Amino acid sequence: MAKQKIISLKSIFYTAVSLVWIFGLSAIGHIVMVLIEKNSPEIKFDFGKICFVVGFVTIYLTRFLKSDGWQSFVGILGGFGMWFSWEYSLMYAGERMGVTYAWNGSYPEYRMMQWSVIALVMVFTYLMYQESVRCNFIYFLRRKLRLMRGVVATGKIDNYGPRTAFEYIMVTWTFYVLLMIAYDEQLFGKESWFTYLVFFASFSVFFYLCYKLLGYDKFGANLKYSIPTVTILWNDVEILAKWGMLKEPWVHINWPIMSVIIGGFAVSTYLIINDLRKRKREAIESKDVI
Amino acid sequence: MRNWKYIFIALVSIFFAQSVQAEEAAAKKLTYEERMKIIEDKFSAAAQEGKTVKGVAVEGNSLFNGTTSPQKNYEQPYSKEELRPAKFSAERNSKVFILTKDGTLYYPTPRKGESVSQSMNSPRIPRVLTEAQKKGPKLNTWATLVPLVGREVEVYGEVYPGYGGIKGVCIESIKFEGDPQFDK
Repeated sequence: MAKQKIISLKSIFYTAVSLVWIFGLSAIGHIVMVLIEKNSPEIKFDFGKICFVVGFVTIYLTRFLKSDGWQSFVGILGGFGMWFSWEYSLMYAGERMGVTYAWNGSYPEYRMMQWSVIALVMVFTYLMYQESVRCNFIYFLRRKLRLMRGVVATGKIDNYGPRTAFEYIMVTWTFYVLLMIAYDEQLFGKESWFTYLVFFASFSVFFYLCYKLLGYDKFGANLKYSIPTVTILWNDVEILAKWGMLKEPWVHINWPIMSVIIGGFAVSTYLIINDLRKRKREAIESKDVI
Repeated sequence: MRNWKYIFIALVSIFFAQSVQAEEAAAKKLTYEERMKIIEDKFSAAAQEGKTVKGVAVEGNSLFNGTTSPQKNYEQPYSKEELRPAKFSAERNSKVFILTKDGTLYYPTPRKGESVSQSMNSPRIPRVLTEAQKKGPKLNTWATLVPLVGREVEVYGEVYPGYGGIKGVCIESIKFEGDPQFDK
């Protein structure tokens, strides 16, 4: 008999807040880049350097955090900072090497990123055989492709921070590469069957992942699994923009819509931090009781 | 000195933050709207005096090896079959020129005196929008040359004498119809 999944109001709340937070973070990241390019392009590469340092330090600092929730929250910010710095480094490389925009509008940095596909596959191959990796998708592949000789990973993870940062980077990297391959007019093209496939597959998988997310009711796990969920939805946002069916509010700087997104991000940040603090207090109190 | 690593990290962060602040202070600060207004005013003044260059953006490799002949038909410089490969070549960084109605070729260049420079296919050029374009759906306020291959454009910028009949133009702003990213 199939197991009945229990979806509580609590898990709906954690899922919704996590999704809003990750979506807001991505949107804010985009608008920051657009505003820098528009108003102060001369500082963009210094900003990229700062992002690298801040991202690196943030990931390092996760070693001092005790709860899974805080580690994941801070880890995402660290991964986000490092990802930003990679985009800026590719922008710089694009300028140095004279990489142009594609005629369908793809940016030079993403055109370059497209060809990191083999590097991505190499890293992914390692992850598929790395026993300590607990990614659900990789578990699925291991099971279906019978990749492992023994049992899969078990045991406690002491610090989710670097893992979450790495997850953020890998997921973002994977989907950028996928989109760039889809948009490449010499391979598929933005109006090709492949792009349509990515669009509809992303749309369906987003709902499936939302359903899976509802099984978690802690910010640690919810935040971690919100990363692929939101990024997959982001594929559709990007494709719709590429088709000219959506004017992205963070690219065309639509302040009314951006205000709603920034407001949602601020509220969700407050709710996450509040919950993590509450859990920390409760943990300390329960220790005192013992 | 147990905490030397934290001090080091803090110093590195401050160093980067300082460099950004210094650059910000050094840059002559005009708002984006002010800068765009100046660009628009310069463009329209130049257009009134006939100092802008109007022509078709053409792809250099196929023009110079004779694969295409955009010079033969200004109204339709490329057939549908020619345009696609010409754009692919342009995005592979073959040079894009501006070909005027009288047959003069303009080679987009960086500003005079800039000794180390990048391919001019890459930088974003501020786009001057017409009044109708401003009222319509939102358009990018910049453009690059690659997506404009085969399109008529009007550019403003310093013109250099060039060599062998081909002139240089340091494009400061550009004006054109439509949205090259989405027009079919």
